[in-house]
Amino acid sequence: MPAVPSAPAPPLGAYPGAFGVGFSYVPALPAEFYRPDLLDFVEITPEKLCRARWDAGLSLDLVPDKLRQAQIACGDLPIVVHGIELSIGSAAGWNSGYLRMLDRFQEAWPFLWHSEHLSYQTIPGRDGGPVSIGTPLPLPGSDEAAQLIGERAATVGHRYGVPFLLENPAHYLSNLPYDADIGDEFGLMTAVTEYGSCGQLLDLHNLYCNALNHGFDAFAALDRIELGRVIEIHLAGGRREQGFWVDAHDSLVPAPVWRLLECALPRCPRISGVVFELLDFFAPSVGAEAIADELRHIRKVRRRCCPSIRVAKA
Amino acid sequence: MSLLAHQTVLGRCLRSSDMERTIAEAVHEFAIDRERLREIGDLVRGAGFGFTRQVQRSWCMGRTAGAAQLTLSLLTIEQRRSLVGDWVDGGGGAALDVTSEAAAFLAFVGRHLPDPSHELSVCRMEEAAYRASAAAASFTPPVLTLSDGRGVPLRQGRGSMIVYFFTDPRRLFAAITAGEPLPALGKKGFPYLFAPGLATLRRVASCAEARLWHRLEVPTSVPALRAEGFSRRRVMALLAVGAIERC
Repeated sequence: MPAVPSAPAPPLGAYPGAFGVGFSYVPALPAEFYRPDLLDFVEITPEKLCRARWDAGLSLDLVPDKLRQAQIACGDLPIVVHGIELSIGSAAGWNSGYLRMLDRFQEAWPFLWHSEHLSYQTIPGRDGGPVSIGTPLPLPGSDEAAQLIGERAATVGHRYGVPFLLENPAHYLSNLPYDADIGDEFGLMTAVTEYGSCGQLLDLHNLYCNALNHGFDAFAALDRIELGRVIEIHLAGGRREQGFWVDAHDSLVPAPVWRLLECALPRCPRISGVVFELLDFFAPSVGAEAIADELRHIRKVRRRCCPSIRVAKA
Repeated sequence: MSLLAHQTVLGRCLRSSDMERTIAEAVHEFAIDRERLREIGDLVRGAGFGFTRQVQRSWCMGRTAGAAQLTLSLLTIEQRRSLVGDWVDGGGGAALDVTSEAAAFLAFVGRHLPDPSHELSVCRMEEAAYRASAAAASFTPPVLTLSDGRGVPLRQGRGSMIVYFFTDPRRLFAAITAGEPLPALGKKGFPYLFAPGLATLRRVASCAEARLWHRLEVPTSVPALRAEGFSRRRVMALLAVGAIERC
């Protein structure tokens, strides 16, 4: 196991904040959807408000009109950031252009916490520069990976002064190599979050996907997760394709994932937000009312399973 | 095996049409031992990696198609599939610099469309909008006096294009929006200028402006342009909006 870094811990200890229900910012939904009687916060992926360009490396420029439109839609609701372009696990270097963009984003629109995926999506090209592999891949469970990502997670935590969370990814690789002292994907997450003094975004649909695709019990796996570090939970829907359960974010939350939420929620003392995730493309076909029903169901589960937790609103 | 070697081999295999060769090359490049070679071989030959390749391809197809929605909407489903599929098979759909890749994909599509055609006009317009929009992020108007009369060669602006429409563009886009048949192709092309310094990135161009812009396919100095009859005012106007620039 890697040594604990000497830098002070990011402000994970300030949590729990009040429990809240959140949803992604989807420009295709009517602005009236983002109202305080339905939502407590909005999850923003700032890359969607950017224009990418190549300038001796990837640069992400916030587009003022898109940013303004998002701010108007979200009104006074607080926001959290859920990034997709950091590539925190890339051995050859993460995407520093993303961090420069996030610096500017935070100045324009402060956020409660910030999350990213425990994965990588760039490799070195033949010329040494980063090349996108087109989809995120999971990390092998090695001390080298735990140490590298832990250091980076600590750096991100300090840089923004708000909790930084790493999300457990869905993937289809059953035989990833793991060092003996790491053990499995849960061991890797534990090692990284301990080393980086950061929190976890527990994606229950990803856990469900991996359980189905790799043949383990998702409910038993909750015992392998450091639930004391979980600040946010993601819920989503998927579908079966060619024998795999796909993390498609195209539909409503399946019943087993709701049961996982009921089981996990009372065991997460720092939980501050549960978010229903849906890809922008599918939001209009799923419909605003069906999405609202899912959000109301999260509140019902909270009331039933952990009635004593401090809430943003009842 | 180092994390870098593991990621590089998996990442290359994800996009490779010949995974065995990719692995064989990596064995030498990263000095992978026998046990690790077996491990990585099992991983990439497994059903899960095969499915990941399909997921990755479908994301690349989606990103590519999303970058050229208007142009692709004018083509047949077979044409669309074929062009997007060929682009992704050639390594497209995964670039970090999404805007540049979108413009490059549209240039690729343009090479497969009849010239002239409304489809090609729309394709070039989408490409021009990407290029002008990307260049606008870092565009600052030049100090005009410095480039005039000193023999500094000028060239076409890197974020600029002239696009020709073979009917009134308003009629063309009204038909596209309504899903109606496209108007007949006119004989005369109406030039539109796309440039990063224009407030809306585009405006109607005069024939003289279009001629000047095409002339600067080969870099030329201002005195030489003036000797060919291009007015200083016209040169300065295009320079000011980034339609042309100093070499």
